[in-house]
Amino acid sequence: MENTFDSDLIYSIFKLAWSRKAAEKSEETELNETEVGRTSKKNWPTTANSNAQKVSSELLRIFVTEAVQRAAIITEAEGNHKIEATHLERILPQLLLDF
Amino acid sequence: MPMEDNEAVYEKLGETEKRFGLLRDRFRLSVIAISEAEAKKQGLEIAESVVACISDLAFKFTEVLANDVGLFAQHAGRKSINMEDVILSAHRNEHLLGLLRSFSNDLKGKEQKIGKTRKRPLKEGTLS
Repeated sequence: MENTFDSDLIYSIFKLAWSRKAAEKSEETELNETEVGRTSKKNWPTTANSNAQKVSSELLRIFVTEAVQRAAIITEAEGNHKIEATHLERILPQLLLDF
Repeated sequence: MPMEDNEAVYEKLGETEKRFGLLRDRFRLSVIAISEAEAKKQGLEIAESVVACISDLAFKFTEVLANDVGLFAQHAGRKSINMEDVILSAHRNEHLLGLLRSFSNDLKGKEQKIGKTRKRPLKEGTLS
C-alpha cells in the first residue's frame, strides 16, 4: 500500500482555509457595507465531494514525491548518498512553477 | 457594538491559527512517511531539514489549493468542490494534468463497478 495523505486531513485543512477566508471577507463587508460583499460571502464554497478530496490528496502526494525525486537527481549527480538542502534549493524554482 | 464584533472576529482568527497548527503537525507526519519512502526508493537518505522544508511548502500549497478550487467552484456557481476543480488547478503542467485526469478516471471506474448509480430503472412488477 503506497504512502499517501489521509483525505480527511486534507479536507480539514481545506475547510479551515475556507472558514478563514469567510472570516476575512465578513470583516471586509463590515467595513464596506455593500450589497456585493454580502453575495460573495454566500457563494463561497464550503464542501468538497469525496472524489475531489481523493484527487486533492493525490495531487499533494505527487507534490511531495516530485520534490524528493527531483532533489534526488541532483544528489545522485553529485555522487552523494543523502538528499540535502542545497539539492532541494536547486530544483525548487521549477517545482513551484510546475505546481 | 462594532468593537465587540471585531473582538469576536480576532478571537476566531486566533483559534483558527491554533487549529492550523494541529493540522500542520499531522500533515508533517504524512510528509515524513511519504518522503522517506520515496528517498528509500531512490536508494538515498534524506536530511530532516529537507523534509521539514518540503512539509512547510506542501502545507502552504494546500492552503493555496483550497483557495484556487474555491474560486473555481464559485466561478461555476457551485457551493461544492468537485474533481474537475482540482484537476483544473493543475493546468500549469500538462504532465501533472494528465496524471490527475487518469487518477480521476480510475476513481470513476471504481465507482461504476461498485454500482454507485442512484437512479435505477424500475423493473416491471415492482412496487408501485
